Amino acid sequence: MKGYRKYFLNKLVWLFVTAVFAFLLNFILPRLMPGDPVAAITARIAQGMSNSTGMKETYEQYQRSFGLDKPMLTQFALYIKNVFSGNFGTSFSQFPRPVSDILSSSIWWTICLQFPAIIIGWLIGNTLGALAAYLKKGFDKVIMPISIFVSNFPAFGMAVILMVIFGVKLRWFPTSGGYGFDLIPDFSWKFIWSVIVHYQLPFWSIVIIAIGGQAIGMRSMSIYELNADYVKYSRFMGIKDNKIVGYVFRNAMLPQITGLALSIGTMVGGALIAEIVFSYPGLGYTLLNAVMGQDYPLISAVTLIITLMVLIANFAIEMIYGLIDPRIKAAQSD
Amino acid sequence: MKRTMLVLSVLLVLSMLLSACGNTATTAPVATTEAAAATEAVVTEAPAATEVMAGDTVLPRNETLYFNGQQWGAVVCWNPYSSNCNNAMAIAQQDNARVTMFETPYIYNMMDGKVYPLLADGPYTWNDAKTELTFKINAAAHWSDGTPVTAEDVAYTWATHVKYNDSTGAANKDYIEDIVAADASTVVIKAKLGEDGKALNPLLVQAYVSSNYVNQKAWTQTLEARANGDAAAFLADTAEDVVYSGPYHKFFADDTKVVLIRDDNYWGADASMWGKLPAPKYLAHIIYKDNAAGTTALQAGEVDVSQQFNSNVQDLWLKDNLPISTYLSEAPYGIGASLPTAFFNMGSYGLDNVVIRKAIAIAVDYDTIIANAMTNQSATFTQVPRSLMNPTPGEQALFDHDAVKDLQWAGNDIEGANAMLDEAGIKDTDGDGWREYNGKKLTYVATCPNGWSDWQAAIEVVAAAGAKIGIDITTNYPEWSVYQTVVTNWPLPETGYDIFMMWSDGAGPTQPWSRIRHLISGEFAKTTNNWNGNWGGYSNPEADALIKAIPTMTDEAALKDAYTKLVKIYLTDVPSFTLMYRPQAFHTVNESVWTNFPHEGDGTDPAVPPLDLTDGYSIAGLYNLTLVNP
Repeated sequence: MKGYRKYFLNKLVWLFVTAVFAFLLNFILPRLMPGDPVAAITARIAQGMSNSTGMKETYEQYQRSFGLDKPMLTQFALYIKNVFSGNFGTSFSQFPRPVSDILSSSIWWTICLQFPAIIIGWLIGNTLGALAAYLKKGFDKVIMPISIFVSNFPAFGMAVILMVIFGVKLRWFPTSGGYGFDLIPDFSWKFIWSVIVHYQLPFWSIVIIAIGGQAIGMRSMSIYELNADYVKYSRFMGIKDNKIVGYVFRNAMLPQITGLALSIGTMVGGALIAEIVFSYPGLGYTLLNAVMGQDYPLISAVTLIITLMVLIANFAIEMIYGLIDPRIKAAQSD
Repeated sequence: MKRTMLVLSVLLVLSMLLSACGNTATTAPVATTEAAAATEAVVTEAPAATEVMAGDTVLPRNETLYFNGQQWGAVVCWNPYSSNCNNAMAIAQQDNARVTMFETPYIYNMMDGKVYPLLADGPYTWNDAKTELTFKINAAAHWSDGTPVTAEDVAYTWATHVKYNDSTGAANKDYIEDIVAADASTVVIKAKLGEDGKALNPLLVQAYVSSNYVNQKAWTQTLEARANGDAAAFLADTAEDVVYSGPYHKFFADDTKVVLIRDDNYWGADASMWGKLPAPKYLAHIIYKDNAAGTTALQAGEVDVSQQFNSNVQDLWLKDNLPISTYLSEAPYGIGASLPTAFFNMGSYGLDNVVIRKAIAIAVDYDTIIANAMTNQSATFTQVPRSLMNPTPGEQALFDHDAVKDLQWAGNDIEGANAMLDEAGIKDTDGDGWREYNGKKLTYVATCPNGWSDWQAAIEVVAAAGAKIGIDITTNYPEWSVYQTVVTNWPLPETGYDIFMMWSDGAGPTQPWSRIRHLISGEFAKTTNNWNGNWGGYSNPEADALIKAIPTMTDEAALKDAYTKLVKIYLTDVPSFTLMYRPQAFHTVNESVWTNFPHEGDGTDPAVPPLDLTDGYSIAGLYNLTLVNP
């Protein structure tokens, strides 16, 4: 266990160092974009305003209130101070709405859409890939081409196809929104059912594409492992097939787990395509608008969450690796 | 045996998979409760609204009028003093002010160019010297809290605009000296006077009464107390407790929709105003993420009034046989009000030469722009020849058509453009296929913001015209965030912004004067933070003098003469050129549930304009709606 502690501490230090740099980049990168976010707000206010001095005053007033007239270093210090007190500031693009309010109202839609989709897509994809590798013949011949075909579908293509077939033509599912266009949210069955129905198309548009990619990866890994020396040796030893399959899947699973962790880490970025095509509420579209509108506080907040989630997911994976694959721990703690 | 085991294990895995799929359905309710919890928070912010309608969670279809194309993104606030509420269903103080929740003294009707009383009682009057404008408040008008609307409310609203220097204050304080209450119901607006003792701009003074809301004095004071004198806090207040005078108010708003509910105690039901309540109990707007989603919903009958660009709108009734229609049954389907315009950067090499500007402008194929970019939802320049006026009859009557006939062009005149350039000695001297001006090749970049697809289609046609007349025009599409920063701040960069698109004013009580001012007035040329216009840096003292004089003119013949001169100057100097006509608001209706929407020749008098039943006089349309299946 001593080796594991050293491994753990080592990873923890790296987590910290990466977090510091990520923090810095989160602040700096959006501000390096060309353009001027305050101009956008002034533009909205200036409609109908015809004197130039008034406009200049307004512009400067907002620049002051966002602290954008201060030097970058002072802005950074302020940002750090605010973030540690849980204050992400006021959004520029949805001024005067606080960033925390925007996040809290849309993040649950994103997580509830993405998390199950990622997990289900991963489970189905990996199982199919493993089966294709193990069963070969007919199963592989069907699964492989379909997987390649589906995984190469652009996300918007899949979303639009599902919408046209099941939404517009067959009318089985609604084409837009997170719940019925004529409903007001409450805890009634009608509302819950409406959410479930609206959930299906965006959900499957993500899952179907995920399945293909995962299946291909898992199949290749499994074929590689099935031909490995230890499998042959185990067979010579007369070890039972189930046992060998267990070994094979455990080994083939490693890179897939990394992929899963990264998907979960970045899921807060949102399912942009599904959100746009189905007008589904969520963070992806909010983030896109934030980037377009140079909404520094909102961009920083979302990217910070993504960064932290990726870092934590990675950290967790490395911890699990240390447990499930002793080779890694051994190599790193030497 | 092994095979059997294998088949069994496959079956096991498959059954696990199925149960996993089943789980998606069961995870969804979790999603629901959490999502609902998030939205719940929004609901509880407005306890009054939820109490009124407790348990009423389904909006009855035949009591709800659905919109699209107005609200993009979540509503931020309900504060009528703020310009940043992103609250398209309730707040828009403009030429055709949105009067669903807050009200202006008068409402403008772009169909006849007149204003009609809303909170006011009878028409306004000017004193003889035209320095003071007086109107009375309708005695029946009252606030949502039951207290009467008074002249003092109007005066205090103005004082607040000035005190906190909000956009209304900043926009009008150069022209309005003060607004005072002569008595409980009489309002006097005192114009700012010039050295000659005359009002500086009577046009903007009278436009104030149909563009700006009257807010309640008592509520404003509550807000001031809450903000503790801080202007930023005052303007950033979400104002969930706002007192209003209009027929609708907030019922529900979250990231996916905004719903207004009718106030059944609305004063306008009084015989002195509408005499009844508007027909729909709810006005709802689902927040669609793009035009395509909005069009799909319109087709599905989930939208009644569509204020967005629906490409090839006629297909909806001609091919899909849907009960969908536009204001006009034939192209251009709507009434053009604004003039999307391409500006020449006067600082670019060669564009200071009027021959080059005019050659480019007359070579452009406008019919293609109108067919491609607008899918024919714009009048052509043969139907409405170019000037500075929009296609409405009121504006078209303001200038002498014959006097400017020789100067107008319908476009695609490649021969004429080539001849003009040849004659001016601007020829291809080195044989590379492109013309040179004083020995330097003419090469330009035409630009508009990225993603503004109709504008991009238009800019491509402009670039294509260049190739036909030996001027190298390429296109470039920066993001809007960059684009707006560049074009509103002189000097423009040396390259990249030689020909660029921006908007012009639509229809309103100060038009066409205000549009002309924004297009060519020298006061905006070569300035920074310029959100007004004349972004190309054009300057003409004669035009400036006319623009300054028009607001004080009373003689109609003199006015017509002045406008004709301005059109002549514009078409001669070509500092910019209109690419198409665009409606003030797109207005497509689906008559599956509601009918009797405004249509050309619908018999309403005065005619209700096609402005989505929310803006200016178009709100009258809400009182005419009937159900298809009562």
